[in-house]
Amino acid sequence: MLVVTDVKKQFTQGEGTVTAINSLSFTVDDGSFVSIIGKSGSGKSTLLGLLGALDSPTSGSIEIDGTDIAKLHDHKLIQYRNKSIGFVFQNYNLIPNLTAIENVMLPMEFAGVPASKRRERAIELLAEVGIADGKEDRKPGKMSGGEQQRVSIARALANKPKLILADEPTGNLDSENGRMVFDLLHNLARTQKTTVIVVTHDLDIAGRTDQTFSLKDGTFTTEKSKTTR
Amino acid sequence: MNIISRGIRNAFRNTIRTGSIVVILALSIGLIIAMLAARQGVNDKIETIKASSGNTITVSPAGVRGFEGGGDPLTEDDLASITSIDHVTGIIETLSDRLTTDDTSLNSAVEAGALGERNADTSGVSFTPPAGNMGSSDGGGRSFTPSVQVTGTNNTTTIGGSSTASLTWTAGEAFDATSSDAVAVMGTSLAEANDLSVGDTFTAYDTTFTVVGIYDTGNTFDNNYLYIPLATLQSLSDQEGNVTSATVTVDSSDNLATVTTAIETALGDTADVTNSQDTADATTEPLASVASIALFSLIGALVAGAVIILLTMLMIVRERRREIGVMKAIGASNLSIMWQFIVESLTLTTLGLIVGTLIGVAAATPLTNALVDNSSTSTTTSTTPGMMGGPGGGFRRASQASTQAIQNIQSSVGTTTLAYGLGATLLIAILGSAVPSLMISKIKPADAMRNE
Repeated sequence: MLVVTDVKKQFTQGEGTVTAINSLSFTVDDGSFVSIIGKSGSGKSTLLGLLGALDSPTSGSIEIDGTDIAKLHDHKLIQYRNKSIGFVFQNYNLIPNLTAIENVMLPMEFAGVPASKRRERAIELLAEVGIADGKEDRKPGKMSGGEQQRVSIARALANKPKLILADEPTGNLDSENGRMVFDLLHNLARTQKTTVIVVTHDLDIAGRTDQTFSLKDGTFTTEKSKTTR
Repeated sequence: MNIISRGIRNAFRNTIRTGSIVVILALSIGLIIAMLAARQGVNDKIETIKASSGNTITVSPAGVRGFEGGGDPLTEDDLASITSIDHVTGIIETLSDRLTTDDTSLNSAVEAGALGERNADTSGVSFTPPAGNMGSSDGGGRSFTPSVQVTGTNNTTTIGGSSTASLTWTAGEAFDATSSDAVAVMGTSLAEANDLSVGDTFTAYDTTFTVVGIYDTGNTFDNNYLYIPLATLQSLSDQEGNVTSATVTVDSSDNLATVTTAIETALGDTADVTNSQDTADATTEPLASVASIALFSLIGALVAGAVIILLTMLMIVRERRREIGVMKAIGASNLSIMWQFIVESLTLTTLGLIVGTLIGVAAATPLTNALVDNSSTSTTTSTTPGMMGGPGGGFRRASQASTQAIQNIQSSVGTTTLAYGLGATLLIAILGSAVPSLMISKIKPADAMRNE
């Protein structure tokens, strides 16, 4: 379970401070598919960065299964990012000179998984997201945006994380590829009991998630939950 | 795929840039290797010169120079105390004597002439006028036949006196200098004046000597000398253990001053001690300046190489800022990312080393020769004002000797040079990666979220 309590994030800008996230508190159950919506500059990506331990909050706590990640030190934070979190970025952020399979194997290498097992699991994951038949040996530059995003999702799943954080995962995709990526993430939450938090502009996508938080000026304005999942 | 293979592959992400960097690095590393080879070649040469040129000390009885002056000869005890001094590698001992017509069947090849007679009058040296020539035709003056100079030596390299460098054997060969046989070598002038060939005999000190060699030095003075083994002369002239000159050889001209002082201390006022420090300095000075130039060039090339790789890696780290953020976001530690960049830097510098070695091997000898030529030319030019006479003449000779001594420097790129080159390459890679590594550690994983 993800429990966020009174989290605040401020940035120094010139001589003053800007509050990007202002005393947010919320809870997300395991295996939920959650969306965060809001206009540009509302604090969506900042919140995602805090949940993924890419940045630390100015105050408050972020607990995952009882562990406050705001209090973790460097080594533990690296482990947390590696094993408990999977990131899916709007720009895919694949390493350009590595093939699809090498990109997927990368988090497993950092986790110390033996090389043979890495390859086996990477092939399996890529097949799950529809990258097979030699496409796994292509470099990102030789793949479409939809394919790159699917590789990115496979990479996020590499170490079987508890939480997938997706920052505008369909933002750079056409509607067909966007739907395919959404379905992939949705299935993940359903079949593997992985919590998925998606930041999106797309209200249609948000409407299909279990829980939606609407963010404005660093605070939630509305919170909607489906009665059934 | 691991850190090493990723680092190596990253080095080839932009082949044009990699090629350009490798070429620039290769020039820098090539210069490092060429300068290392030059420095090693020059230093080896300096050591050789120090052990073979300008490393002698002349010891003669106090107040004696040749047959001028007076005093007592050096004794066996004096020589033993010199031998016991550290860094002394050998002593060439000579004993000189004059043979008048009463002492030998030989006649000097040189006529007395006006200079000889004046010298005889003023030197106080007694002489025996030749039979039937007790007076000159004018009945008032006197004339004489110059004596024959004989030198006993324990080292045949002294044969030829001041002209040993130009000595050639026209017949026979040198004697065994350690023997006490009645054998002799002489210059062509003396041999011709007495109609002697190798195998012929003559008498001196009431002993029959056999001629075993005849030499030519190109000048009449040195060609009028007679050389016999030292022990033979000491025995026949009743001067057992005595010598009139000792040339002490030191292991390196670096120790010349120390040994000179030690000899002066050991022998006190009984001997005059002079060394060839000026010659040693003049010989090694141009090479020492070449070694300094090579060292500064080496350091300059090393710094240039480090700066090249530093700027390259800074550029690469800036360019891949978001990629580094992504790697951190998916669980890479600072250390593993740093290692990946260090491997990339090492790959570039290793490529530079390979190409640079080829450049260094090709450039080592021409660069060394150019440096040596420039250095010896400037040294010779700087001594020119003294060449018209006076003290400068000696310095000129030393300079000429040094110019000759520094020729033929072998500046080959051997395994030692390559090992140093490899060390320099590693140093370049590490220095060049240090600041970028610091930058990597400062990059936040949140940079992965940037949408550029």
